[in-house]
Amino acid sequence: MRLVRYTYPTPSRSFSPAFGAFARSPWTGLESELDRLFESALGNLAAPAGGRFPVDLYEDKDHTYVRAELPGVSREDIGVELVDGQLNLTATRKTPATGDQPAQTYSLNRSVTVPDAVVQADKITAVYENGILTVTLPKREESKPRKVTVAVK
Amino acid sequence: MSLFQSLVSPFNRTPASADASAGTRLDSVPTVRPAYEIKETADAFGLVVHLPGVAREDLEITAEDEVIRIAGRRGWKRPESWTPLYRESTDAPFELTLSHDHAIDLERVHAELKDGVLRASLPKIEAIKPRKIAVS
Repeated sequence: MRLVRYTYPTPSRSFSPAFGAFARSPWTGLESELDRLFESALGNLAAPAGGRFPVDLYEDKDHTYVRAELPGVSREDIGVELVDGQLNLTATRKTPATGDQPAQTYSLNRSVTVPDAVVQADKITAVYENGILTVTLPKREESKPRKVTVAVK
Repeated sequence: MSLFQSLVSPFNRTPASADASAGTRLDSVPTVRPAYEIKETADAFGLVVHLPGVAREDLEITAEDEVIRIAGRRGWKRPESWTPLYRESTDAPFELTLSHDHAIDLERVHAELKDGVLRASLPKIEAIKPRKIAVS
């Protein structure tokens, strides 16, 4: 059994002359090492741990947008459903058969809570391009931000 | 301890601080390393890289005698009117550097990018393919 002590680069010991505010945090090395351990231990490339994928939420005045990173899935294997105020994104990723491994199927899913009162459910559209699924949810008229001017007597 | 390290291969690797492929030079844009997988057959290495949001014009593959470098920019720019509410992904470009030390026949590399997944076949040079040795 060996005790291994990690030493992290600190600003005072760096080799660059102009370090200043751009110093790497002392935890950066440990964080990236831990990330690698987790990604290799908990899942393989096609089936990330938990069957989850990164999701971003944006909004503008008229719509809410959901962007999901889903590389390597074909369009007919993607399901977008709005059920009971939950937007469910499901996808089935199939890996092609290689020399010694048969083709495998992994299912991924994420759910985003979307209140029914805010979304026009029948006008939701979705686009899948370059591995990114973008779901556009139009807002109902009454939930859009409105300016109400009140006259003061 | 060394037996344990050889059994559990993720531990048998240089620590991140000694890894030059992390893209941490001060003068460069921070990059992120994409998820990738390498499978080896007798004739070639098969490489699968997940590059969501990267189209063919955003992708650059440089193959040299010692390293293969894959750089991908995310082509999508967020429209000005969109307000981010919750972010899990990052806008940083992808960069993956794989060193192979002259093991790959660069003339016969074949790669395709579809739906954000890059699949590349990297044929081995003849000298390192497994071969039978006859015993006289």
